[in-house]
Amino acid sequence: MFAAIVAGFVALLVVAAILVAVYAVLRSRKTENVSVKRDVRSIQSVGVSSSLPNSHRVPAGGVARGGTPAQPVANPGDNLKSRFTAMGVVAGLIFGTLATKLWSMQVLAGESFKKESEDNQYTTVYTPAPRGYILDADGNVIVKNRTSLTVLAEPDVANDHDVVARLSTVLGVPTGIVRKRIADSTSGAQSQRVVASDASMRNVAFIAEHADAFPGITVQTRTVRDYPHGALAAHAVGYTGSVTSDDIASVAEGRDLELGDSVGRSGIEQMYDNLLAGDHGERKVMADAQGNVVEVVSETQPVKGSDVHTTLKSHVQYVADKALADMICPDGGAIGSGKGTGGAVVVMDVTDGSIVALSSYPTFTPSTFVGGITQDELDLLQSSAAFSPLLNRAIQGTYPAASTYKTFTGLAALENGMATATQTWDCTGSWDGFGSGDVQKCWKKQGHGTLDFRGGIVNSCDTVYYDIGYKFWDAAANKGKSATLLQDFLKRYRLDQTTGIDLNGETSGRIPTPEWKQEYFRDTPEDAQWKGGDYTNMCIGQGYVLVTPMEIAVAYGAIASGNIVKPHLLKEVRNAGGDVALTYQPQVLDTPDVSMADLAVVRNALRGVTTDNEEIATLFNDQGIDPDTVACKTGTAEYTDMEDTAWFACYAPYDDPKYVLACVVEHGGGGSSVAAPIGAQVMAAALSSINASDGEVGDIAGSSGKSEAGAGKGTSSGRSD
Amino acid sequence: MAQLPQIDSLRRPNAAASAASKPRRFPWLHLPLAIVVTLLVGYGLIIVYSAVRADGDYQYSRQLGGVAVGLVFMILVWRFDYRRLSDYTTLFLIINVVLIMSPHIPGLGTDAGMGAKSWIKLGMQIQPGEFAKITVILMDAAVMARYGGNLDDPREYVKALGIMMVPFLCIMTQPDLGTGLVYLCIAAFALVMGGANPKYLLITLGLLIAAVVAVFAIDEVIKSSTGEYKLLKQYQRNRLLVFMDQSGTATTDEGYNLQQAKVAIGSGGLFGKGLFQGTQHSLGLLPEAPTDFIFCVLAEELGFLGALVLLGLYAALVLISFRIARSSGDLFGMVIVMCVVGMWLFQILENIGMDCGLMPITGIPLPFMSYGSSFMVVNFVMLGMIGSVWSHNATLKQH
Repeated sequence: MFAAIVAGFVALLVVAAILVAVYAVLRSRKTENVSVKRDVRSIQSVGVSSSLPNSHRVPAGGVARGGTPAQPVANPGDNLKSRFTAMGVVAGLIFGTLATKLWSMQVLAGESFKKESEDNQYTTVYTPAPRGYILDADGNVIVKNRTSLTVLAEPDVANDHDVVARLSTVLGVPTGIVRKRIADSTSGAQSQRVVASDASMRNVAFIAEHADAFPGITVQTRTVRDYPHGALAAHAVGYTGSVTSDDIASVAEGRDLELGDSVGRSGIEQMYDNLLAGDHGERKVMADAQGNVVEVVSETQPVKGSDVHTTLKSHVQYVADKALADMICPDGGAIGSGKGTGGAVVVMDVTDGSIVALSSYPTFTPSTFVGGITQDELDLLQSSAAFSPLLNRAIQGTYPAASTYKTFTGLAALENGMATATQTWDCTGSWDGFGSGDVQKCWKKQGHGTLDFRGGIVNSCDTVYYDIGYKFWDAAANKGKSATLLQDFLKRYRLDQTTGIDLNGETSGRIPTPEWKQEYFRDTPEDAQWKGGDYTNMCIGQGYVLVTPMEIAVAYGAIASGNIVKPHLLKEVRNAGGDVALTYQPQVLDTPDVSMADLAVVRNALRGVTTDNEEIATLFNDQGIDPDTVACKTGTAEYTDMEDTAWFACYAPYDDPKYVLACVVEHGGGGSSVAAPIGAQVMAAALSSINASDGEVGDIAGSSGKSEAGAGKGTSSGRSD
Repeated sequence: MAQLPQIDSLRRPNAAASAASKPRRFPWLHLPLAIVVTLLVGYGLIIVYSAVRADGDYQYSRQLGGVAVGLVFMILVWRFDYRRLSDYTTLFLIINVVLIMSPHIPGLGTDAGMGAKSWIKLGMQIQPGEFAKITVILMDAAVMARYGGNLDDPREYVKALGIMMVPFLCIMTQPDLGTGLVYLCIAAFALVMGGANPKYLLITLGLLIAAVVAVFAIDEVIKSSTGEYKLLKQYQRNRLLVFMDQSGTATTDEGYNLQQAKVAIGSGGLFGKGLFQGTQHSLGLLPEAPTDFIFCVLAEELGFLGALVLLGLYAALVLISFRIARSSGDLFGMVIVMCVVGMWLFQILENIGMDCGLMPITGIPLPFMSYGSSFMVVNFVMLGMIGSVWSHNATLKQH
């Protein structure tokens, strides 16, 4: 303010000086008039080229003439002197205008210009922070970081044939691919394009030394994700990608995103992105018009993100990943060389919902995404021809539950008085309870003979469950009971709800109801009618029933412990200093209201599946586990024109349940022959991990994307459960 | 011819008396003028040093060389009796045409990468259009001197105007609108101070405005039929558009230049960032800082007060020149001095005005300040001409 007053005063002085100057000119002219008159008279005889009287010719001379009234003598000097005045005024105006304008800019608006000038000078450069690690429950690293020399190009380099050719030669990458990488705009239209990640020191040095030959090319040392075990737990940990301009536009509150950062795109990386992402380092620099750094004004170091400790156990995860791969693609072959086209395994701690292993096949190597994935690679990972490796089948795959459903429909029958533990059924291999002539067959064509409730589950007898389905139909049709008695019970086990696991993209299963069928078939009303067959199909987990492996795991967990827990991958979060910043609090979502007696009947029957079926008992015996300590259920879902999908669900130890497991192999065959061996192997690993945390963890390979013709095609190879 | 009879009498009586009574020790030295010019040139050298110090494209020694050569020429011109030149209108006209058209001579001209052919190579690159300002002033003054302060005859007026328009038309072939406007400004001062009938002056002004409007209108018509502007170059249009609409400026190069120039001036504040502390030009944000945007460097480093000092020095130079002109008593000499003053005023207004967004952007340098040896020499010759007018009248008086 003081400065402005001073400046205003100075400006006033200047204006005053100008006025004085003009006045001086005027005044001197006046005094000269006197002498001029005399002189003009004295030299009149010399002659002046202009002899006209000038009284009518002086336009701007009004002021000037004021001092010399009515001078009849022709005087050119007089005439011109008025023009001096005019020019003096012009000069005064010019200086006055400039001074005023400068005063308004420099003094009045000086502060805002100063700010603009500072903005011009200083640029804040953000240094990406290393992301936090992802570890397992025992502190073993699943995802860490490493540095990578990355060669980057401005987008317009794609049009520079010479530079592309030189890059191709230096990096040993074909020109077509170099151009394609530069032209790839997935990381944003304006962003620099990755030409090569993990470039060798030698190549980088060459580019740096010949910078003139590589305009628009820069080399950065980036911190990138490192996966010591390849594709281990790929679907659980997820992958990262370079931030795009869209991400920045839609950034969540509290998350600071800059171009060049990595953000989580799936799995834990995405779910806990906020925690994993650190704080940017900031370098405030003075840069010139070309962007060259002239001076570093201030600098703060980036802070690494927090480490996410998961509930996974590397060894169990490894066994699950490997067992699935060995079943589906033995010896790393193409899909179709083994059994099935895909699969999933989930192992959960029934006491608190901790996910010990979450495996899905075919899988992918998250490192493919490091430094940017090409569109071709991404397309392959999403293609159905490669059986969608990015799909997390454990939470996104929905399958008919098949006989694994009998646990819940059987319990529903006990609870609703449709069956008792001591009741017996006669299985002849076929059933026509509706008397419609439309015979439904048990999987065992010659029939099971006489069975009680336990035998129904142990042998997975369909006839028993057709009868249970019939009872539910009969109750609704003839005894005034609710038409959704069965469904309402199944909903207690949340078989139609997402489990709430801390992963994005979870899908939910389906419990078909008359209402649902009406809606589903609204375009073909003849199929929309809810029929008795819908009950019988549902009771054996076929028909319109769909579940995800995660739902089955949680529901079997509820059979084992009585509680529906919320499954979770997060154990705790440790900050950069290693201190625990956040610990996951287990949640019991629900305790289904069933009688303990009925539950005991079902549990006992499930143990019978392990002990009474020689094939399954052998599997557990081979793993060194007493079959007596395991409750399980197999399942085989039938499709038309496709191989069956195999199911296996189990929990152990029987008396004090710790782990529950669900396993599915898409179009792999029978549950006990395809899914159960995987389940037994993984459950054994899980049980052994209770006391030991040093189990083997090896590399897991991502899917090659290859498959044999006709993989998963064909017909059922014969159900046995 | 046409010496005004009241030569001596135009001087102040006391000045005349003192000059008559006490012979000056250095009759050829005009002390106030010498002081003002020394300060001005020194000021300019300091600011140019600040501007070129970070930029390898400019050599400070060339600027010093320009001052040295300029001083020599000034003294030579100062000693030369300008009155001997009053009869050579035709000669000046020929020199003007040859000078201004010389860049068109194959092998001699070069466009210096700026698009316009305004440079020639004679061992070093020089701008003949710059030197032609001298002969344009002499020619215009000589034309007006014929009429002895009263140009009333319409035919004679048109004739005089026609001669004065020749250099402008020549320079527009390069094309160099900026220098052309300087020629027009010189002509205007010559006509006004030479005593042209005000009525004619107003009519000329009206026609000029009409011509400018016509150029735009015809260009618009050309565009509607051929799809592109032919008469005005795109960059000239941009400059005008930027000038008219200063809000949405930063999109074009011209807008960027103007914005950065304004930031430089404005951020200087009252006292400036300190000599050699300017950031706008040292970071390369002000293109052409030592030449066209030298004032921005001064205003940024020395602030409003520094800018006022410069304006004050200019005002003093103009005031002294005014007084020399008024006291010359010789129409030819008086018009010469006033044309020089007019030229300086126009260049000051245009250059500083352009920097603060008052005037459209043209490449007109700031007298005694901008980097450029041709221009420095020309300004010293102009000073020499003023000195010649002053000293030869003074000598005349003493006899």
